[in-house]
Amino acid sequence: MIEVKQVSKRFGTISAIEDVSFRVEAGEVYGLLGENGAGKTTTMRMMATILQPTEGDIEISGFSVQKEPVEVRRRIGILFGGDVGLYNRLSARENIAYFGSLYGLEQRRLQERIDSLSQMLEMESFIDRRVGAFSRGMKQKVAIARTLVHDPDVILLDEPTTGLDVTAANIFRRMVGKLQEEGKTILFSSHNMGEINKLCKRIALIHKGRLQFAGGLDTLRERFGISDLDDIFMAVVEGSEA
Amino acid sequence: MGRRVIWTVFRKEMLDLFRDRKALLGTFLVPLVIIPFVFFLLGMSYSNVEKEARAYIPIAVNGSSGLVASLQTIPGVSILQPSNQEQALQEGQLRAIITISPAFEERVKVGGTGEVVVAFDSTNQKSVYARTVIEKTVEAYSKEIVVQRLKQAGMSEQAIKPIASTYQNVATEERLSGGMLAGIIPLMLVVSLASGGIAAANDLVAGEKERGTLESLMTAPIAANHILTAKLMAVMVMSCMSALASLVSLSLVLRLGPLEMESGFSLSFFSPVTLLVLVLTILVLAATFAALELVLSTIAKSFKEGQTYMSGVIFLAMVPSYMMMPLNPVDIPGYYYVLPVFNGVALCKEVFYGRVEPLHALVGLGSSLVYVAIITVMSSRLFRKEGAVVKN
Ligand SMILES: Nc1ncnc2c1ncn2[C@@H]1O[C@H](COP(=O)(O)OP(=O)(O)O)[C@@H](O)[C@H]1O
Ligand SMILES: [Mg+2]
Repeated sequence: MIEVKQVSKRFGTISAIEDVSFRVEAGEVYGLLGENGAGKTTTMRMMATILQPTEGDIEISGFSVQKEPVEVRRRIGILFGGDVGLYNRLSARENIAYFGSLYGLEQRRLQERIDSLSQMLEMESFIDRRVGAFSRGMKQKVAIARTLVHDPDVILLDEPTTGLDVTAANIFRRMVGKLQEEGKTILFSSHNMGEINKLCKRIALIHKGRLQFAGGLDTLRERFGISDLDDIFMAVVEGSEA
Repeated sequence: MGRRVIWTVFRKEMLDLFRDRKALLGTFLVPLVIIPFVFFLLGMSYSNVEKEARAYIPIAVNGSSGLVASLQTIPGVSILQPSNQEQALQEGQLRAIITISPAFEERVKVGGTGEVVVAFDSTNQKSVYARTVIEKTVEAYSKEIVVQRLKQAGMSEQAIKPIASTYQNVATEERLSGGMLAGIIPLMLVVSLASGGIAAANDLVAGEKERGTLESLMTAPIAANHILTAKLMAVMVMSCMSALASLVSLSLVLRLGPLEMESGFSLSFFSPVTLLVLVLTILVLAATFAALELVLSTIAKSFKEGQTYMSGVIFLAMVPSYMMMPLNPVDIPGYYYVLPVFNGVALCKEVFYGRVEPLHALVGLGSSLVYVAIITVMSSRLFRKEGAVVKN
């Protein structure tokens, strides 16, 4: 469960997030939709306790990001989009194992975990090769495995499909489906309405740091009286320009 | 828990650094390339100038005297008659011009003073050497004349030499070589300590920030201070490895090198105490530089920016070393022992002179620890500052 409670975030005079609230239920795949610069990464960084909310608070599985950051970190796995951060001189296994041991996994459990993730993500053929020479899709798999190595309840995926080709994006979506079956809570951000539509029933739509809508996609259609979701997104973006 | 995290991070950093050709190059550049190169050049020019100055001494002589015959017996001396002597001297074809006054022999014979003018070029090492050779010959010739004159007057040589003096050097051979080394080694040692950790420090914070790995790392349920401690240790290890390699490289170069110091060079001026002081000094200097480099790496917004800042650290290492290069430890001002980096360089000098003042060691190492603590706290503050690990 993720609960964002009237959160604002300012960097000096820049207001990146302004009074945003929404709630992701346990076991739900929830979409965070917004253009570039809308404030998606900033929101996720606050959930991951890397940034502190200027106002308001966020609760992850009942723990406050401000008051119990370590408890929060234990329960989340976060995947940053774009150029996923991996250690190029380490092998895929070494990258994943490094994070696993930082989460306190003991050796046997860690190796089991790596083996099962490597099987699930189909990366057995390159698990012991150095990451530096990997393709974008291979790197993405390693990064996902790293995010999931400690089996977190809450999974934050920040624009995870950016830069992936169609096949890799499909594999990725299937994996999200599997994680949902396991009962994970997943927050998925994107600037692409179509992609959100494939995975989520409920979304939060932010624009320029302000929440425009939070709730089910059907409610969203009713509210705007438009059936095409892309058109709704355009209407929101243009509406605020005007 | 904390110790396990530090160990995990440290082990990963070392593995990563040892697979990083750039970091290794940075660590071993000074000891394996720069030191041999500098000493090679130094030795080459030194021994060449010296050899050439001895092997061939072209001079011009105007006038005549028995002195000329004496000069001709010196090995290497060759008397030339170029058309323009002044110019030849300026251009280095002549090392000296000797002008013997026309009445030289007659004056000497009647017990007077014969005049000799020696022109040389003080800016030319070889000409200076020629001057020394000529001076000695003139003195020897002059002494012969004196002996003859004394004999004629019925006196012995002792009449004009009432005192026989000998000067004895109290510096033992060990300290002599220590003295020579005490000039160069602290410089090389401190520069390698400073440069050895640079690539690592830059990679471990600025580099990780740029690649986005630091942000992921900071979402793990571990304390920022533990990450920083591990990184500090990794940078210190690289820095110490560089210093160690420099010491080995220096002793090899000095032993094998063209400086012909075989006879003078020995490590016997090390005693258990001075060795201990040296090791401790290296450790606190490594910690100082490592902490400072991590501060700069944290402030830097990119790898490139980090590299620019790091050159300042090299500068910081070189200034005290250069300032103290010509100083004997007894001439080092007391307050140097409480100045950062100065204190380490000063202690190194004492070690290589084979005489460590216990109070100096105590003050120098103690103040160094204080600086290390201050910089470490600073870097920890910076590192934990919100957004410090996030690339934007
Ligand atoms: N550390 C920071 N300092 C200053 N401004 C920032 C910082 N991080 C984000 N911002 C600003 O906040 C806004 C939202 O950024 P971000 O959360 O990255 O958007 P998104 O991920 O939706 O593209 C942008 O205007 C960005 O410039
Ligand atoms: Mg973003």
